[in-house]
Amino acid sequence: MIRNISEQRILNVDLTSGQTWVEDLPREELFRFLGGRGIAAKILYQRVNAGIDPLGPENVLIFSTGTLTGTSAPSSGRSSVTCKGPATGLYLKVSVGGHLGAELKYAGYDHIVFSGASERPVYLWIDDGQVEIRNAHHLWGKGTRETDRLIKEGVGDEEVQTAVIGPGGENKVLFACIMVSLYNSASRGGVGAVMGSKNLKAVAVRGHGGLRVAEGEAYFDLATRMRQELAEDAGTESLYNWGTSGSIPGLNEMGMLAAYNFNQVTIEGAERLSGQHLVDEGYLTGRESCFSCSTACHRYVRSKSERYGDVNDSGPELETVMALGAECGIVETEAVLKANQLCNDYGLDTISMGHVLSWAMECYEKGLLKGEAEELDLRFGNADAQLEMIRRIAFREGKLGDLLANGTKRAAEEVGHDSWKWTIQAKGLEQSAVDTRAAKSYALAFAVNPRGPDHLMTETYAEFGFTEESRALIRKITGDERYANPTLLDKRAEIVRWHEDCYAASEALGFCVFTSTAAFAVNPENMAQLFGHALGLEFSEEELMLGGRRIVTVERCFNAREGARRKDDHLPWRMMNEPVPEGPNQGMVTDREMLDRLLDQYYELHGWDPETGIPKQKTLEALSLLELCGDVAQLRVGIVGSAN
Amino acid sequence: MRLRTLSIDAQKCTACRACELVCSYHHEGVFSPFLSRIRVVRLHGSNVPVVCANCARPACVEVCPTEAIRIDRDVGVVRIVEEECIGCGECITACPFGAADFNEEKGVAFICDLCDGEPVCVSNCIYGALSFQPVRSVAQGKRRVTAQLRLASQESN
Repeated sequence: MIRNISEQRILNVDLTSGQTWVEDLPREELFRFLGGRGIAAKILYQRVNAGIDPLGPENVLIFSTGTLTGTSAPSSGRSSVTCKGPATGLYLKVSVGGHLGAELKYAGYDHIVFSGASERPVYLWIDDGQVEIRNAHHLWGKGTRETDRLIKEGVGDEEVQTAVIGPGGENKVLFACIMVSLYNSASRGGVGAVMGSKNLKAVAVRGHGGLRVAEGEAYFDLATRMRQELAEDAGTESLYNWGTSGSIPGLNEMGMLAAYNFNQVTIEGAERLSGQHLVDEGYLTGRESCFSCSTACHRYVRSKSERYGDVNDSGPELETVMALGAECGIVETEAVLKANQLCNDYGLDTISMGHVLSWAMECYEKGLLKGEAEELDLRFGNADAQLEMIRRIAFREGKLGDLLANGTKRAAEEVGHDSWKWTIQAKGLEQSAVDTRAAKSYALAFAVNPRGPDHLMTETYAEFGFTEESRALIRKITGDERYANPTLLDKRAEIVRWHEDCYAASEALGFCVFTSTAAFAVNPENMAQLFGHALGLEFSEEELMLGGRRIVTVERCFNAREGARRKDDHLPWRMMNEPVPEGPNQGMVTDREMLDRLLDQYYELHGWDPETGIPKQKTLEALSLLELCGDVAQLRVGIVGSAN
Repeated sequence: MRLRTLSIDAQKCTACRACELVCSYHHEGVFSPFLSRIRVVRLHGSNVPVVCANCARPACVEVCPTEAIRIDRDVGVVRIVEEECIGCGECITACPFGAADFNEEKGVAFICDLCDGEPVCVSNCIYGALSFQPVRSVAQGKRRVTAQLRLASQESN
């Protein structure tokens, strides 16, 4: 089936009753929420009542494609998975690359909304217009790779695209991920656990249709020009050559390479974790793109060693080598490749896994973890202990494995003493390994991130002003290039809000944020034009960014309704209380006072109540969100719900 | 004329599939890999674009019952004349590469027509996995690589 891009279709799958039905999305909703992440946020807000158990059947799990996914727009192939998150009890959206989104589009759907829970393990098989909930008894307990292989074998088509959970998701590890197209991970916040709680082992899709845009020639020409510009963009060259972990040497030099659970910011032997090392030492076997992306930052690696056996896998990404490597005091390449492979196969988020283990290592070295930790000698740098713990966590095996499977916030409540201060988490989500003491836009963006502190909802790379393009962007946002300075507090709110809007809009359309905020060839202006050509209307940059803000605001409202307030917008304790111990940023910290200043500016700019952080009525009105989120404005005066 | 061919360096392919998208748009006005004349086969980290080889003695031409497939010597391409195609699929079965496929909506077979001499896939292949060059240059390039490899192996012995 060839269909128009403006005619979005939502596939509903109720796993309790086994019923499936298709809804058409009203066109005006697409204009308001732009697509993907935006439509998902709206559906989540409407369909999930406050206070429900994220791992209960009342939660929904939404797979969304970008509006332009499946077209020749460069780097537009990303999808998102949205639900109420089990790690935080708040809004959770995870973005993922690969080829699943485009395949789903060609099958005739833009979004899948799973509700309820199946009594027995099942997987969803979409073969163009045919949708079938199938028995997954034979897949339960299998790793993600084997599951993918068995599904393809079962349906008799090697080119099927899948989204799969491993034992991590089945056992409801609170940082279980979903592996997409085999090698891409929808990682954070426990999306895999939500899938597991629904007894949904996998989604498999085959589509043979196509997409039509309203103004074909104009769309095609602009997309082609953007692809050329992107290829020439300085930001993409390093990503192609070295992948995301090409930043390791630079971060180490800048004293921003988190190591030993953030007790250090450099590590001896860091180069062995770098993308350059993977190339130079022959580990790299291939570079791959996500659908319609010409950057190819994705890696394939292979290693053979006596100690860790044969590893043949995708990745590892920058955050993976930082979390599983440097944060755990491990710089042995083969060990980190092995740990990455285990996490991928068990279906576990490497960022949280690394920080769960680095916290456990600190606890053990400080004498707070006994028993199994002692038997394994779970000290920093012990790769064998790390690999064994990854396995135990995936299966919730033993007391320690079960404890750590709940993430650091809950584990620290059990372990007690000062151990909560060493958790690199806020809102219940482990922070990515970015040093939020030394970059203030990052600090603010992480603190207000609705899913918890990480760089994947809003990364403000431009504030460093490393390139001419970054400095130009800061000038555009703030009016002055001198604000391209991560140590300043002024104008951070403006920088963060711009990036939030841009992220939300990029992800609604399906664009990879690397190409819109780290490289700049995909930018709000040309995204708006493409969106307009696709739908056949005039659409401005301002309208696009406003759409992004509308999405961000709905996400904020969802959290407010769940009881989240200003007090929840903070950073991990260590980032706020322990200054950077060494290097160029020595002494830097983002303390309470600084954060309060940043928050005051940010809430004011957004039109959110400074005391609670809840969007004001007039803000909702200006964004035409009163109808959807009006209940939240009432929360401030205590009419509805309770602020816990 | 000098015969030119679509030359593929699979090592450079990153499976972005831009070629499939621009091809289907160029020929059919829609974005659909299944209507693309070139297809990227992904094999766990290795990616191989597959496209019509424009054989000198094409199996598709031989089996076509309506003689709808002809060699166009001006462009140096094997071409399906859509109006004469009856959609029997004989060419799809006969092609040794899987380079011919079927447009269900139109009920006709399709193969690469080299965009009449300016293939859009080539100009959109960022990493140069696809190139359009004279057959002689392809052979010459390969000979030079072979020669260098032989020389290197002699020197190392």
